[in-house]
Amino acid sequence: MTKIGIMSFAHMHAHGYAAALNALPDATLAAVWDDDAKRGKAAAKKHGAPFIASMDAFLASGLDGVIVTSENVKHRAMVEAAAAAGLWILCEKPLAPTAADARAMVAACKKAKVGLGTAFPCRWAPPLAEAKAKIASGALGEVRAVTCTNHGQAPGGWFADPALSGGGATMDHTVHVADLLRWMLGREFTKVYCELGNQLHRGELATDDIGSVHLEMTGGVQVSHLASWSRPRSFPAWGDVTLHFMGDKGVLFVDAFKQNLTAYDDQDMRVRWVGYGDSADLGLVADFVEAIRGRRDPSATGVDGLRATEVTEAAYRSAKAGKAVKI
Amino acid sequence: MNVAIIGCGGMGALHAQMAANCGLKVALCADVVRPAAKALAEKHGAKVAASPEAACAAKSVDIVAITTPTPTHLPLIRAAAAAGKQIFCEKPFCRTVPECEKAIRIAEKAGVKLFVGHVVRYFHEFEKMREQIQAGALGEVGWVKLYRGGVFPGGPKSWFRDYKQTGGATLDSMIHDLDWVRYVFGEPERVFCQALMRSEPVTMDHSQVTLRMKSGLIATVIGTWAQPSGFRVMAEICGSRGMLQYDMNEAPLRMEARATAAGPNWFVPMNPVMKSPYQSEWEDFLAWLDGTGTPRVTARDALAAVAMAEAALKSAKTGQPVTF
Repeated sequence: MTKIGIMSFAHMHAHGYAAALNALPDATLAAVWDDDAKRGKAAAKKHGAPFIASMDAFLASGLDGVIVTSENVKHRAMVEAAAAAGLWILCEKPLAPTAADARAMVAACKKAKVGLGTAFPCRWAPPLAEAKAKIASGALGEVRAVTCTNHGQAPGGWFADPALSGGGATMDHTVHVADLLRWMLGREFTKVYCELGNQLHRGELATDDIGSVHLEMTGGVQVSHLASWSRPRSFPAWGDVTLHFMGDKGVLFVDAFKQNLTAYDDQDMRVRWVGYGDSADLGLVADFVEAIRGRRDPSATGVDGLRATEVTEAAYRSAKAGKAVKI
Repeated sequence: MNVAIIGCGGMGALHAQMAANCGLKVALCADVVRPAAKALAEKHGAKVAASPEAACAAKSVDIVAITTPTPTHLPLIRAAAAAGKQIFCEKPFCRTVPECEKAIRIAEKAGVKLFVGHVVRYFHEFEKMREQIQAGALGEVGWVKLYRGGVFPGGPKSWFRDYKQTGGATLDSMIHDLDWVRYVFGEPERVFCQALMRSEPVTMDHSQVTLRMKSGLIATVIGTWAQPSGFRVMAEICGSRGMLQYDMNEAPLRMEARATAAGPNWFVPMNPVMKSPYQSEWEDFLAWLDGTGTPRVTARDALAAVAMAEAALKSAKTGQPVTF
């Protein structure tokens, strides 16, 4: 039985990972630590694991690995502490708000000889995995351009507090797509132009809520990506991840979370999409557990997280400079 | 365990792959069209049987998978049961209710297990609908509408062109939905059906069914083989609290080739999942064989589905409702 601990439930994705851990036959959520004890205790109770108040005691409690799901700016300190304790680490995306932090985390894990993964669960969403396979099969020929979106509803809370998140919608919702494109096309990002906006929430957010991003990849592949917290509260789901590939031989459109029933509910006058697709979290967490057993990095590595952060960092730099910049 | 695939068309090839995915050895392939058997056997490193009957009786085989035209199911079940084989039979179970009854008796007498592949019970989207209904998300469900269909199946020499063998869209294709309605909502009270049931031209059918269930629920079930292209499944379920809709056209993945001088382009909507529902039904069947589970669908359920389709066809003929 592989014993995994969760460090912080600040990010709501922690609940999905905890559920995935409890669903796996060969792994368990063995302990929870949180710098917000009240939040940590509630989460520990919900998922049937002990809460350990001291971080040092938590790291010394016989765990095989940890999942870090704190606020973005706290990732680095927690990852470095876990690495020093010799534990395998899966860190929520973005790996860090800055490339300097991300680089330091990768180096710390390398030095401690522990595996570091970035939580990019989209790689385990079957529609995206199938899209990758189709592209690899050559069915589209050479891919020349891609149009992407990662929309969401505004998460609020610390996500819109730059002191804790390090950035807004563009940081939150660019890294998945950046990672997917690197993974699917086997190319790196070279250049970015970004228009930032924060006009979707009456200017009340301290961060951007729109990023209209133009990217270039090696080989001249042209990419546009819309990262946003633009979905209204009445939208039927949390958001989307869509990729539209233009190839010499054909086109492919994938809407990763479009495996839905549409549910009209008169009780609260809402329309919702009820997903029937497979849980991508389960694949991500299972891969992490296998990585621990095999003493290897998780499939989506710390370096993959660093590369995605380099993209978002450059996007913010571009928006500030008002021109396209190199990555 | 070793599997014999009887009937090496599209479904035979699919089930061979699913059996292999479950760790079974595809050992024998049989088809009255010998090249079809040879091609599938080559793919799986299997042998080609002299005949379907010989494959059913082969010593090397533990499980017989029957994926042949519907009217041949009963004689093949008889042959496999006589040789003590476990049986996986593609839906429809048999062409008529008496044939289904005979098949069940034969399997029981021989002490072999007989599974009928009503795969829709294993589809993610249908399972999610059942879960939502049973969790009360719709309140009291009063009406269900299911649609399934597309182009006429099979080529010019296919058995699908013989209405007597297939029972048309009602018995061959709509049977999925008839089974699912009974699975989720219980026994039917009566059925009314209009069906084209055309023998000329042979490549068109359209079947429109209303079921009144014993619970009072009404189900409208449409099955078509009249579309010029494509295949589509839709569902709409209405209750006192809300409504649930599913449309296969809203697939997560679409691919279209650029038209070239070489020919027409293609358009493929895809709905990828981690585990195919066809593999889930094989796992269910195998768990039943090794005594670790009871299957989601029984031969008696499959018989009931044939009875519903048969009643619908009777109604189509008489123009009057048929009470169960």
